[in-house]
Amino acid sequence: MSPLATTLKTSLETEARQFHDVVDDHMDVPWQEFLQAWGELREIDILKRDDQGAYYIEKS
Amino acid sequence: MADKGFRSFLDDLDAAGELKKVTKPVDCRQLSALGEQADQATIFENIEGYPDWRVATALVSTRKRLAVAMGCKENRIAFEFEAKSARPIDPVTVENAPCQEVVMEGDDVDLTSIPMPLMHLFDGGPYISGTFAISNDPEHGTNVGCYRLMYRTPKETGIDLVSPSDMRFYYQRALDKGEPLPIAIAVGVHPLDMLAASYKAPIDTSELALAGGLRGEALEMVKCKTVDLEVPADAEMILEGELLPIGWTADEGPFGEFSQISGDVKWNPIFRIKCITHRKNPIFYMLQMPWENDWLAAPVTEAAGLQALRIASVQPVDIRAPVGSCGYWSLIASIKKRPGEGKNAVAALLSVAEVKFVIVTDDDIDIYNPDELDWAIAFRVQADEDAVILKGARAKHIDPSVKSWLLGKGGLPTTAKLGIDATIPEGVPKILYRRIKNYGRDRIKLEDFE
Repeated sequence: MSPLATTLKTSLETEARQFHDVVDDHMDVPWQEFLQAWGELREIDILKRDDQGAYYIEKS
Repeated sequence: MADKGFRSFLDDLDAAGELKKVTKPVDCRQLSALGEQADQATIFENIEGYPDWRVATALVSTRKRLAVAMGCKENRIAFEFEAKSARPIDPVTVENAPCQEVVMEGDDVDLTSIPMPLMHLFDGGPYISGTFAISNDPEHGTNVGCYRLMYRTPKETGIDLVSPSDMRFYYQRALDKGEPLPIAIAVGVHPLDMLAASYKAPIDTSELALAGGLRGEALEMVKCKTVDLEVPADAEMILEGELLPIGWTADEGPFGEFSQISGDVKWNPIFRIKCITHRKNPIFYMLQMPWENDWLAAPVTEAAGLQALRIASVQPVDIRAPVGSCGYWSLIASIKKRPGEGKNAVAALLSVAEVKFVIVTDDDIDIYNPDELDWAIAFRVQADEDAVILKGARAKHIDPSVKSWLLGKGGLPTTAKLGIDATIPEGVPKILYRRIKNYGRDRIKLEDFE
């Protein structure tokens, strides 16, 4: 897993966040790099949604 | 090549003074907010991180720009759509296509190489909003529709297939056999093609022939590289792949809906992409929600209204589906009225799809002028005689006022519809509606006294 994907994973294990909040935290990262990291989390199928549409990850 | 393509339409907008060109560097996270603030259609020519791409948006987010696409005056759009859609032209197949100048296949497929924007505050991810989606069923043939795609991975998107549609029907048939449904998505086609795709045609009607009719020329199609489908040759980009046979199991959304409301998380299939093709120096089309979607819906609703009036033997003079009701839920029409036809017209228009509010006026009222409409309603309407309420009609889940969450899973909502006959009531002399006119107005001119 890339360092950015690891950072995203840690953040979403801590609390549920809307996608735009996750984006806001990484505005300094090129968009393509951000999308690739987000895709890494999708590929391992660990992203969950709460009833507000926010993303979270259950701690393993 | 055909005369009417995405790029020729950009030229048409430019010639009409309706295209803004932004040359400063723009990040994909800025595109939506910038496009929303522009009072013209906009093309962003310098996308950070995507040197080969440009992004165009808000191409038909006003009635004026839609009229440019249709090649007619703003108040003739519905009539043009009705006339041209009655003369479909079958598509033709070509060998070489601009949309296949660059090919990414297999392991090279990478959606992150496309400048997909984050469009709205509560969206579940970046979206491809302006799609011309093609599928095929062995029994029912080729179907085209518009379906949003949410980025998931470099090779996968979500796709909204919740609402009843022909592609949903095709997908269900494939799913019943445990098979994927091959589909192809074109991005960056002429708005007339998008209009044809958004038309709720009977399942055996060819949207491709309808697009030809609207264009006045055959749509040129080319075979896909990896699926047995054909796509518009002059599109900017094509995504080829298949809907996985997993049913409605993957989270998708929210997305800023055409109802001008942020939607919910939905459960939908996944689109796995096998091949991406595009033009050299392609233009990504970011369909601006809700306005472009709503203006594309309006002519379809208006044409259905015209058809309903003609079947009811009522002569329409003008019709519009206001963008405030998303070009979908309201219809306002003026008619050449014979006794009783105000009510006939109301009943006919209330029968159109999910239209739930209707106003009918005489042909002396300019239905594009809200003050004229208010005047007609104030002085030609008696609520106990001229308001028609129709209960228990079909509705859409997306309308919060139908409280669809109370229905349980799979429940279908209904709605009450309201029609107002704002024509001059039978038995009231027309002389009583003689409008104020200033004495000498036709011969005395202010400029002669300046």
